[in-house]
Amino acid sequence: MTSTLINVFKKLNITAVTQIRLCSSATNVVSEHRDISVIKKDWKFPPQYTKPREVWIENLDTVKENKLGLFELHPLIYATVPRIDLIHRNVEWQKKYRWVSWAHTKTRAEVRGGGRKPWPQKGLGRARHGSIRSPLWRGGGIVHGPRSGKTHFFMLPFHMRIHGLTSTLSAKFAQDDLHVVKDLELPTEESEYLIDLIKERNWGPSVLIVDDTDYAPRNITVATDNLPYVNIMPVYGLNVYSMLKHDTLILTHAAAQKIEERLLNHLHSNTAIQQAKFKLDQV
Amino acid sequence: MELLRNGVFRTLWRPIVNITRSVTYQYHADKPRLVRRYGYEEKIWSGGLKPRSEGKPLPLPEYRPANPWTERKSLFGQNDYIDILGPGDLHPVKTLYNVPSWIRGVRGSEYHILLRKRKMWARSATPSLRPTKWKEYEKRLSFLYRKLNRKTKTGPSPI
Repeated sequence: MTSTLINVFKKLNITAVTQIRLCSSATNVVSEHRDISVIKKDWKFPPQYTKPREVWIENLDTVKENKLGLFELHPLIYATVPRIDLIHRNVEWQKKYRWVSWAHTKTRAEVRGGGRKPWPQKGLGRARHGSIRSPLWRGGGIVHGPRSGKTHFFMLPFHMRIHGLTSTLSAKFAQDDLHVVKDLELPTEESEYLIDLIKERNWGPSVLIVDDTDYAPRNITVATDNLPYVNIMPVYGLNVYSMLKHDTLILTHAAAQKIEERLLNHLHSNTAIQQAKFKLDQV
Repeated sequence: MELLRNGVFRTLWRPIVNITRSVTYQYHADKPRLVRRYGYEEKIWSGGLKPRSEGKPLPLPEYRPANPWTERKSLFGQNDYIDILGPGDLHPVKTLYNVPSWIRGVRGSEYHILLRKRKMWARSATPSLRPTKWKEYEKRLSFLYRKLNRKTKTGPSPI
């Protein structure tokens, strides 16, 4: 069974090499064996220097893994050099741009009281003091303390964020932590089913499922409801931090295509507006 | 002559030699130990690294590991790339719902932030509802204005 599969695979590769994948038209080859659909894409932005990466399309309706087809991923998105420095800068940005420190201390002007001179300037043999709320005093004001509403906001440059996404996706893909499934239809709404499935397929302790739509099917939402380490996100919610926090990234077929399309579009278009300096009153 | 004188000197002068026992190691080892401050109980621990082993234990709090998969933590960062992956008409700063709107996407010193706060809160009910707070903002602003504009040295002049 595996040998036939390998043969199919080899044939595919040979055709790929001869065509150089530059102007391949959309063909949906269904091989005779096991009903594996092999999808070759009609690229809007064909890969120029590297071959497209192939990935299995898996199923979710049985615990045991079933390969439903082969699918091509754009190497510019899913197989770039994983720039760890960029990934780090993206995560730092995600943490910082929303971070507001609300720590607050009162100055000597804001602490209650302290208007009266505690004792006369001269004649008592004591140190001179003008206010009981002076920073020298216990219970007095704080000098150079934290003042409420300290922000750490900055915007990471647009293309650095795009390359953060592609780097993280590539790293996940290279480490076999990125899987493509056909859809998110589960036969039951039992959590046990999903736990078994994750264990059977060695999908790490935590799983991030990304779908194309806002509404996931009912069964998978109920099943993941009390599994805090399995989370579902729409495509527009995908981000570097979550990809790193979860061990395995599961993309639906449609989601993988959409991510690819969005990122390729940005990489091949004029992004002067997005690259412009961040102005608060214009967002 | 010289030889004779030496011979006489030697016969007349005999130095006194006391023959003493040589002090050995065994002598020190056999000495009875001198007990200093007999009957006094040493209260300072000198037995090595063992702080506060007797009596009350150190006030270490009980270790309670935080749950890393609360909803806030597991979905942290969602929608941060919405301008790239979404339709493109929404900026991620607009999705920071848990940050108050007047400080969303703002950066600057305390003075800048306080100025913006006053500007945006001036039309709200804050000045009449919290007059003391409002007065403190104004007071702090005027203090910072004076500090930054009248008391802070600027860099060297270009000429």
